Amino acid sequence: MMDIQALATELSTRFALPEGAVKVQRATRLWVEVDRAMFSEVFDYTVKSLGFTILCTITGLDLGADLGFIYHLARDGGVMINLKTRCPKAESIRTVTSYFPCADIYERELVDLFGARVEGLPTGARYPLPEDWPEGEHPLLKDWKPKTTEAPAPTSEAHAPTSEAAKGAVSE
Amino acid sequence: MSDMDRVVTVPIGPQHPALKEPESFMVDLRGEKIDAVRMRFGYNHRGIEKGCEQRSYTQDLYLVERVCGICSFAHSTAFIQAVEEIAGIELPKRATYIRTIIAELERIHSHLLWLGVAGHEIGFDTLLMYTWRDREQVMILLARLTGNRVNYGMNTVGGVRRDIAPEMIPEILKVVDSLEERTKYYIDMGTREQTLIQRLSGVGKLSREDALRLGTVGPTARASGVDRDTRRDDPYAAYSEVSFKVIIDDHCDVYGRTLVRLGELMETYSILRQLLKQIPEGPIAVKAPRRIPEGEAVSRYEAPRGEDVHYVRGNGSEKPERVKVRAPTLANTQSVSKMLEDGYLADLPIVIAAIDPCFSCTDRMVRLNEGSGGEGRTMGWEEVTRYGVQWHKARGLDLSKIKIPGGGGA
Amino acid sequence: MGVFHRIVRWAQRKSPWILHFNTGACNACDIEIIAALTPRFDLERLGVVLKGTPRHCDILACSGPVTKQIKDRLVRIYEQVPEPKIVVAIGSCATSGGVFNGLYNVEGGIDQAIPVTAYIPGCPASPQAIIDGFVKVIKSLEEKK
Repeated sequence: MMDIQALATELSTRFALPEGAVKVQRATRLWVEVDRAMFSEVFDYTVKSLGFTILCTITGLDLGADLGFIYHLARDGGVMINLKTRCPKAESIRTVTSYFPCADIYERELVDLFGARVEGLPTGARYPLPEDWPEGEHPLLKDWKPKTTEAPAPTSEAHAPTSEAAKGAVSE
Repeated sequence: MSDMDRVVTVPIGPQHPALKEPESFMVDLRGEKIDAVRMRFGYNHRGIEKGCEQRSYTQDLYLVERVCGICSFAHSTAFIQAVEEIAGIELPKRATYIRTIIAELERIHSHLLWLGVAGHEIGFDTLLMYTWRDREQVMILLARLTGNRVNYGMNTVGGVRRDIAPEMIPEILKVVDSLEERTKYYIDMGTREQTLIQRLSGVGKLSREDALRLGTVGPTARASGVDRDTRRDDPYAAYSEVSFKVIIDDHCDVYGRTLVRLGELMETYSILRQLLKQIPEGPIAVKAPRRIPEGEAVSRYEAPRGEDVHYVRGNGSEKPERVKVRAPTLANTQSVSKMLEDGYLADLPIVIAAIDPCFSCTDRMVRLNEGSGGEGRTMGWEEVTRYGVQWHKARGLDLSKIKIPGGGGA
Repeated sequence: MGVFHRIVRWAQRKSPWILHFNTGACNACDIEIIAALTPRFDLERLGVVLKGTPRHCDILACSGPVTKQIKDRLVRIYEQVPEPKIVVAIGSCATSGGVFNGLYNVEGGIDQAIPVTAYIPGCPASPQAIIDGFVKVIKSLEEKK
């Protein structure tokens, strides 16, 4: 099995990735930035030919005009390749559920929390927001603010404690 | 159409028997067997990741610790390791040892908790009482070491906040010795008590191929022969300084998951003894900046339930740009539907419990729909459990009769 | 206070039936509640029994913060609890939202939805604190008669 330096070189040369796109962070962490146009090819190669058959999760990022996506891939032996790509907010990315059935829930998270569009995601329940969450509200976008940020004062004068025993904090 | 042919959808769902709510598991029943399961999660969504962006790294330690009330140290440590990697902070050895000791103590309390909950789900409440009584030894110890039974507040950026006093080392070893004896009883029971073996065998089957394909993690994966454990594969804290076996089993069922957790307990006792013998002198933390530079890191941690993954991105300020948490239970959700397929409704509670989900995941309700035009019937989770216990009793498996060997004593 | 009311109070005192409602959160408090029922603490010797239905419970014990989704449900459960209603908030989250206060899906403690009789703080509330809290609540019922 190739060590991490060899993996870095392999990906760099095979896909003619620009200077700085491939970073070895430590013995088990590789970071690879891939242009959207090349992403499926690089992804396919990493999974099928380099043996990165574990998808830990997919991280979404709000990069302003674009959304960023990091696919955290791993394989037996501990090495992780983090494949990063980005895509303008109004555009869509392809699902990777054909490679990883478990990607389903990670992609739904991107849809709910960032408003990402994922082409080919099978129909199913949303995750993690509740059913009645308002349309178009994506909490992890940087400019999203909740409607109320302050916790209101307690409403509890309706049922004030009636004895000294029930009043006050419990000692521990 | 006969009863056997009729598919009945059983929504297993909300948090309370009294209420109608969106269901988390939609179970299609064919007679007594499960045809298919569709799932929905997220009822527990609090908005922690966003909250992390609005709080400092130190404040985030206290928030992230509370993602889960069982593996709180797992989340706290996974988070802070990523932060420390971005900042290029190298921890003093003693700090990594202390983290590992707390991590393994957490594994003990979590696995014993699981054993008790599993016992409860199959009508073996004696096991719940004994394991949770044993578990108290670890809870008391953790409170003595950290100040709290759960949510230890032990981590800080650059190390740990409290040292382990030399006089505590023999105290920890006493608990390890005592629990090792107790665990041996449970293993003995698990390998010789026929009723228990029969009850758990062949239940919740998950082949190795499916475990790999569906991304299963933790003891659930290892019970299907998947040889993966983050402590060995991608070591963190002080795990590269100790030697231990990764417990693999090939039963591919709930029985296997039980054996794996029991085996892991024994390995944990060994790991703790090594750590306590070797723990070096030295500081327990290094001074760390409040502002964490621009950069990103991924931290992986073998929580009691499986691999916990944290991604952190710094932007040069006191607050993180992004924190992403992938808890192990989320990775195991698809495996659960697979395991339930073609099994009995009577086994549903133990199969779900066997992936060791967050406790509230199992506080579910079953609603029986008699198909179109029928009347709904409401059953609570406890009722399904009782249905399962009665169902198995009728087939000769009565777990309430099992005696626990060596069960007496404090 | 009529005879019937005195009987109800007496029955509550002798063996209060608790309905435990947890809104999710991290569940550490829920585990400590169960721990309170296991041999080392043994809450059952106080006659405390956990029951599954609001219509028969004496005390509604809540853990976890109030999230937007849970609020309505909590109110509906509260409405089903017979008078006199006693509500105990267990843990910092049930008390005030705890560490989750200010997160976008969290509205605060239990008292954002229903009136609370007693608060048992702690993160989590320890089994000792839970027992102490229930003892105080039960005592306060005695004093009412």
